[in-house]
Amino acid sequence: MVEIKKMALDYLDFLRDESRSIGEAESISFPVTEEDVCDILSKLSLNKTPVTIQGGRTGLAAGAVPHGGHVLNLTKMNRITGLYTNSDDSGHLRYILQVQPGVVLSQMRKDLEDKNISTTGWSQEAIETLESLYAGPEHFFPTDPTEISATVGGMVACNASGARTYYYGPIRPHVFGIRMVLANGDIISLKRGEVFAQGQSLTLTTLKNRTISVSLPSYQMPHVKNASGYFAAPDIDAIDLIIGSDGTLGVITQIDLELLPLPQVIWGVSCFFTEETQALDFTVLVRNEITHAAALEFFDDHALDILRSQKEKGGLFASLPAIDPLAHCCVYVDLHCNSEEEAYSDLYHIGELLSSCGASEHNTWAARTALDKEAQRFFRHAVPESVNMLIDERRQTNPSITKLGSDMSVPNDKLYAVIELYRSTLKEAGLESAAWGHIGNNHLHVNVLPNNMDDYALGKKLFASWAATVTSMGGAVSAEHGVGKLKRDFLITMYGEDHIREMIRTKLAFDPQGLLARGNLFSEAWLDEEVAK
Amino acid sequence: MRTLVCIKAVPSSTEVKMDPVTNTIIRDGKQSVVNPFDQAALEEAICIKEQLGGSIIVLSMGIPATEGLLRDCLSRGADRGILLSDRAFAGADTLATSYALSCALEQLRTANEFPSLIICGKMAVDGDTAQIGPELATTLGIPSIVNVEKVLAVSEEEITVRRITDLGREIVSCKLPALITVTKDIRIPRMPSIAGVRFGETGPVEVFGAQGVGADATRCGLNGSPTQVVRSFTPERTHEAITIEGTSSEQAAQLIDVLGGFGL
Repeated sequence: MVEIKKMALDYLDFLRDESRSIGEAESISFPVTEEDVCDILSKLSLNKTPVTIQGGRTGLAAGAVPHGGHVLNLTKMNRITGLYTNSDDSGHLRYILQVQPGVVLSQMRKDLEDKNISTTGWSQEAIETLESLYAGPEHFFPTDPTEISATVGGMVACNASGARTYYYGPIRPHVFGIRMVLANGDIISLKRGEVFAQGQSLTLTTLKNRTISVSLPSYQMPHVKNASGYFAAPDIDAIDLIIGSDGTLGVITQIDLELLPLPQVIWGVSCFFTEETQALDFTVLVRNEITHAAALEFFDDHALDILRSQKEKGGLFASLPAIDPLAHCCVYVDLHCNSEEEAYSDLYHIGELLSSCGASEHNTWAARTALDKEAQRFFRHAVPESVNMLIDERRQTNPSITKLGSDMSVPNDKLYAVIELYRSTLKEAGLESAAWGHIGNNHLHVNVLPNNMDDYALGKKLFASWAATVTSMGGAVSAEHGVGKLKRDFLITMYGEDHIREMIRTKLAFDPQGLLARGNLFSEAWLDEEVAK
Repeated sequence: MRTLVCIKAVPSSTEVKMDPVTNTIIRDGKQSVVNPFDQAALEEAICIKEQLGGSIIVLSMGIPATEGLLRDCLSRGADRGILLSDRAFAGADTLATSYALSCALEQLRTANEFPSLIICGKMAVDGDTAQIGPELATTLGIPSIVNVEKVLAVSEEEITVRRITDLGREIVSCKLPALITVTKDIRIPRMPSIAGVRFGETGPVEVFGAQGVGADATRCGLNGSPTQVVRSFTPERTHEAITIEGTSSEQAAQLIDVLGGFGL
């Protein structure tokens, strides 16, 4: 039986996450098995103790920051527990890896690449399936958030995405099974394709044979990259409601993940532009014409300037490749192809597209070798890092300052309009900013870089106004970070109070006392009002 | 200015496979990359070309698949590649290799295309000998400066560099033609552009055998190699890791126990 420990100085780190928000809690536990989770939750529910679920605490929306009660940290549930196969819609054999929620993405990738997955406790059948996986073509897990120390459980909880979401989608379609412990210790086990809602009504049966009747929220989700609130639509697969629910419905204890065959050729090409409109034109052209583009990423002028300046200072970024001083912005294209012929054809076609929008194939970095690909990866990851370093420098004189980052997406036909919105309102507010992100999904992280707390307050106001405009464009207020505790107000802007209260009632079907992940998605005040009804 | 850069194909990982019979590295070309020191040498040559104009030749000795690596060099800024590939070259030590390379350079001298400057990586990451550069310069009868970390000035007639020695740094000037070997940090290699990749696919790479460069077969490959490798082996790694878990006070207590176990 895992101990429920009193909160102590040793555990202060577990009161915060990457959002830099700090919470409070009275106790903490580190379960190792699903049984541990059931025991802990059963015990805590008797006293109506709120529970905040944590993985790697890499989230940017404070979803893992406790608001009192207990912290259930899942990082010790970090085993890969099995492997099986099934057939996809075309009849092709598909490998499904079973993992505990605390498995760290980087470790899972490494174990897969090195063919070094521990099989302790596996069934003979699973071991044989692993042997057949190793003997065949290489496989990979496609979801690639920037923060590779994220845990798989956390990624499922916020329906994580990454650069390659442009081609492979978010984590959602790659999740084939989930086991989830409810607040009272009962368990729901779901496989994709087995349980569906009837219209807005969903009926689930727990392992203890209890029936849960769920009424799904009636809002219409935007047709864009979206991690804002519950996945809800008529006749949905039950598993999709759980994915992206921010820990509010239960504690995920097992996840079945689809592995995909690794493309034969993976190349990257960074294209530099002298004007931002060229980059937008290029994005539209690539979307229409380059079928093997797996990611389309953007870096704006100030992001590149900050990177240049950090490179000049030496240190960590001194070994970055030199960026042409005339380059104003950059679009990175990841190519996933079945052969070198296909990759060369796409690469040269990208060169032609660059010419047609006033740029040049001379101002590109084409990474085909492992070393070049590593240099490209370093460049892409150095952009947010260098901005964080800039903010850290500013915090030395004003510790209250923190970066403000947006996470909104819009439909394809609103790309130019949303960029114009960002540019004009930032200029009008006189705020410094740096933008980068997933332009293929019309999803940029626009970061306000405050010089003082007035800038910070102005930035927050601006983001609230963007949330309203983005919603009116048919977009999402959170495309990949999840809503957590920091974007609840944006979610009200997006769906309105009535729909938020529908979401709360959906939660209460799973968690009638409203104990799990309090403060995520909706306010605790509204939650308590609905519990009292 | 004409510059020539020597390129060596090396295994892409540190897990090198050895031929148990010849005690030489198995080079199948599947996982080969340009020696990182040579990549830095090429980047230095490209910077000199950007400053003074001229052209860059990349020269290598290797299996036929090495042509792909020379084409990669073309995509980054070299203008022409020369590959020495022949069974007669197989199993060469540094003496036989530098002899073969010198034959190609003598051919260039005959054609009045001898480079003003030859740049080699200080060493290759697989052999670690650092012998090819000085041996090649000696064979060609030109001066050499090794361990160059920065080119301070270069013209058609002269080069001034800063080199690392056991005692510190030296600034050395030298009349051209000359050969320098460079450290890996002298330049950060650039990536090819799409335009570069196009040139790399179609640009000129000539392949010569021993006869093609007028090499004496008795001085090539294993025949021309006085080096005798008696035995080669991969050293065994025998380290153990102890994972300490728990709260910081629990970890500290465990650490004290572990250190105590070592008598510390």
